[in-house]
Amino acid sequence: MAGRGKLIAVIGDEDTVTGFLLGGIGELNKNRHPNFLVVEKDTTINEIEDTFRQFLSRDDIGIILINQYIAEMVRHALDAHQRSIPAVLEIPSKEHPYDAAKDSILRRARGMFTAEDLR
Amino acid sequence: MAAPDLRAEVDSLLLQLLQDLEELEAKRAALNSRVEEGWFSLSKARYAMGAKSVGPLQYASRMEPQVCVYISEAQDGLQKFWLVRPSAQTPEEVGPREAALRRRKGLTGTPEPESFPALQDPLNWFGILVPHSLRQAQASFREGLQLAADMASLQIRIDWGRSQLRGLQEKLKQLEPESA
Repeated sequence: MAGRGKLIAVIGDEDTVTGFLLGGIGELNKNRHPNFLVVEKDTTINEIEDTFRQFLSRDDIGIILINQYIAEMVRHALDAHQRSIPAVLEIPSKEHPYDAAKDSILRRARGMFTAEDLR
Repeated sequence: MAAPDLRAEVDSLLLQLLQDLEELEAKRAALNSRVEEGWFSLSKARYAMGAKSVGPLQYASRMEPQVCVYISEAQDGLQKFWLVRPSAQTPEEVGPREAALRRRKGLTGTPEPESFPALQDPLNWFGILVPHSLRQAQASFREGLQLAADMASLQIRIDWGRSQLRGLQEKLKQLEPESA
């Protein structure tokens, strides 16, 4: 285990972000962009997408936690992310329970088991 | 490598992948439970402290991460996430400072880094005496973070398994036309 530790980032609603920040993942200082984004009613999809892409391009973020209903808004960006790191984990929100059918990682895994591949 | 050996390897890889997927889903169910428990505790804390007392308004203006992930790489290229709490390293720094205090050398002008871990506990953003429900929320989300690291490792493992599988299936396709 060499090198500096990587951060865990979170893009979520108020309670999700507050909870994970309580868990101790937050980084906020004047030198760098924060590793979290609270998505509120007036947060635009562009803002969410910009933040997500920014997190993907940073080499100091290892995991991105994102509420699934927010992941749906930027699904194209998630599907385009083919690298294993940072790992993107979709989590439910209070109003939107987790749906495995929408998860990018699981959809890709399901694609492995087509009849042709297994012949 | 002969086709039967390749097929056996494909079979065992598929079995491993299915096991990993099952484990991923089990961890996901556990993470979802922890997160839901955490939200419930946050709601209870909000009920005790006031509607606007548990949210972004209380976030500190400066935050240091209490937890981070390290990525180790095995010989075959497979990577794994390890959740680490840097505060576990601070006991080594306490010794010299205690000695300095005992010698009463006075202030050296440094900001006492050893006391940071306590000051930086995010619970402190919400006040000195916080309700038990807020501590419970913190515990739930901390457990959730460990599960998240495990899930990330499994996702990498599944991706790696997929690419291995594709490679083996390509080799099989090259061998199969000869046997057809």
